[in-house]
Amino acid sequence: MYQTRPWQKVLRYFTIIIVSIMFFFPTYWMITMSFKPKGEWNSAAGTIYWVPQNPTLDNYKTVLTEYRGQFFRANQSSALPSIRSSIVVSIGGTLFALLIGTLAAYGISRHSTDTGDLPWYIAVGRLGLLVLVMLPFIVLWARLGILATWYGILTFTIIGIVADQIIGRVLGKYYKGAVGSLSFSILQLRMFPPMAILIPVMIMWSTFRLIDTWYGLVIVYGVVTFPFVVWLMKSFFDDIPKELDEAAVVDGSSNWRAFFKVVLPLAKGGLASTALFVFILNWSDFLVALLLTSRNWGTIPVFLNKLVSSEIGAQHGPKAALGLLAVIPPVVFGLLIQQYLVRGLTFGAIKK
Amino acid sequence: MANLRLENVTKRFGPITAVKALNLEIRDGEFFSILGPPGAGKTTTLRLIVGLEKPDEGTVYIDGEPANEIHPGKRDIAMVFQNLALYPDKTVFDNMAYPLRERKLPKDEIERLVQATAKSLYIDHLLKRKPAKLSGGERQRVAIGRAMVRKPKAYLLDEPLANLDALLRLEMRVELKRLQGELGQTLVYVTHDQVEAMSMADRIAVLNKGVLQQCDTPEAVYNFPANRFVATTIGSPPTNFVTADVRPHGDNLLLAHSVFALAVEGGRHPARAALESAAAGQALPEKVLIGFRPEDVRVSTSQANGCNVPAQVSVVEPLGGETVVDLRMGGDLVKAVVPPTQRLEERRHVWLNFDPERVHLFDARTGQRVYTTGQGEPFACLEAVH
Ligand SMILES: Nc1ncnc2c1ncn2[C@@H]1O[C@H](COP(=O)(O)OP(=O)(O)OP(=O)(O)O)[C@@H](O)[C@H]1O
Ligand SMILES: [Mg+2]
Repeated sequence: MYQTRPWQKVLRYFTIIIVSIMFFFPTYWMITMSFKPKGEWNSAAGTIYWVPQNPTLDNYKTVLTEYRGQFFRANQSSALPSIRSSIVVSIGGTLFALLIGTLAAYGISRHSTDTGDLPWYIAVGRLGLLVLVMLPFIVLWARLGILATWYGILTFTIIGIVADQIIGRVLGKYYKGAVGSLSFSILQLRMFPPMAILIPVMIMWSTFRLIDTWYGLVIVYGVVTFPFVVWLMKSFFDDIPKELDEAAVVDGSSNWRAFFKVVLPLAKGGLASTALFVFILNWSDFLVALLLTSRNWGTIPVFLNKLVSSEIGAQHGPKAALGLLAVIPPVVFGLLIQQYLVRGLTFGAIKK
Repeated sequence: MANLRLENVTKRFGPITAVKALNLEIRDGEFFSILGPPGAGKTTTLRLIVGLEKPDEGTVYIDGEPANEIHPGKRDIAMVFQNLALYPDKTVFDNMAYPLRERKLPKDEIERLVQATAKSLYIDHLLKRKPAKLSGGERQRVAIGRAMVRKPKAYLLDEPLANLDALLRLEMRVELKRLQGELGQTLVYVTHDQVEAMSMADRIAVLNKGVLQQCDTPEAVYNFPANRFVATTIGSPPTNFVTADVRPHGDNLLLAHSVFALAVEGGRHPARAALESAAAGQALPEKVLIGFRPEDVRVSTSQANGCNVPAQVSVVEPLGGETVVDLRMGGDLVKAVVPPTQRLEERRHVWLNFDPERVHLFDARTGQRVYTTGQGEPFACLEAVH
């Protein structure tokens, strides 16, 4: 060890304390806030309530029960529907992404002939070319008046996929890499921030009547998190020697059975961590849910945003209470799968 | 029992040709070994036979039937992978039961077969353990057990004894030979260890860079190597090679090295015809490679009868049962194997005396063997002035 001077020690602890306060104070404030009665929410009167003076469970009651009156002039219902909605769409989206993503990842891990990652300029160039090629179609479709019909969207999508593949092939002539491969297309999906696709998705969803439905949200969550699942699960599958599934195939399994009976059990640790990661992404989403829901399927973050009354402004107490409640599912989920969050399951499969 | 045949099989991976126009026939009940250095295409050949790879060209026949389109699981061939590929989350019992369960055998039948197989491999006390808790040799047995338990037509073993320590390897070698004798099944054994191939196999196929070099019995491969590669691969230490000039000398031919020469006497000597045909035409090649095995060389401190070639001892490696001597012969370094009782000091001047019955001539350009004295007339030996 190297010598630590006293002033270095002081600086170190000072930094630790500052960072700790930055991280833990908001949590502390939220917890105490959830037990504070209305009068203690604001420091408008000049007093700051560091601890609740008259602790109360009213805030929890407010968000968990059908409550009209004091706080809510408008016909404001409880948070229960939004909690239900959050649970349904987060789990649904996670399952959807896991289902298609895991299979795709396995396929890519075992059958892709990719030699490595693409340089970014090839990747961006391909995406740019696609946008350029598709622009005239947007104009044409709009002229024809079919841009927002189901068959318009369908044909546009098909043309897009075909164009993407052609661009991939053409680029592949000049760049001997992974252009034109499936995993590249998935990488490409990862490059879209959800914001970039949300407006078109809104148009599509209203055409397909998917706005404010649980399955409409599940599809979007599934698609947005799909690339994460593919890239995480691919790395887990890559760690499992391909000779294991081949041994199963030689031993008489079909390719599907080899996957389900030999490979997937070995990847369950990875599957669990991927599921948790994707679930948290879905659970904490605000933007997608805000734009694609209205009355029925608003999720917790959307509901939190609406916890404002015209009379006294933001409902800090109920917000804190619901926020705390919203932390519970990811934590419980994490604890439940904790035993699977270990690596090294493949030890002993092969000789070193 | 199965007869396996590869006809003109080629397999490419991108720019690499892993196996090139391979013709092989592995007969019923044969212990067949595929020998080659790393990257020779040994594993690829096995994967082609079992169906994990599809040939780009050519056909794989199993019992005379074209099998290119048959799923690996339906070929009834078992394979032990180079890395064993035991299922790490399953116990030894479940590992061995896996192929039987996939065949939907009744439970008690599975139990009985696994127990019997485990007993014959002396691993019946390990059935409840996971592979991670086994020693290297035990894992090896489990992998072989998983292959044996379903009584396949043929076994493919990919370097099964690599990575075991020397003693265990010797033990397993004997045992594998015994097992194969008992099972009487076709067994293809891939190895890069020529001793394993020589000691176990009925026939050996020597592979290099995806190309078959020679396929014959161990004796034939040892005594009549098809080319320089085989002569170097088979036998330890490898065959010595020295380059000699080919000089016509009246009716005779002289194969002249800097310190000695072999005389091919008479215009009708078969070696002359062989050299001429190797050179494609009537003209003789300018150079030829003379090859002789270290085992066929005697080293003595005085001249003896036969061919005496002057040399100087460079390095002496005593191996216990024998001693390997590196010698400087003119500009060439050659090796000789001598009895351990013979004392030779470094830098000592000695005479090399090699068995004129066991000298090979190789084409200097292609490396193909063109003539072996054991097959025909021997050469006369001339000592060069030095
Ligand atoms: N799936 C693959 N993709 C690309 N190249 C491959 C693949 N499998 C094998 N090769 C190449 O083919 C050649 C032959 O490989 P193979 O595994 O058959 O050699 P081997 O004789 O078994 O060698 P080793 O003794 O190292 O196991 C090598 O050059 C290898 O790099
Ligand atoms: Mg190999």
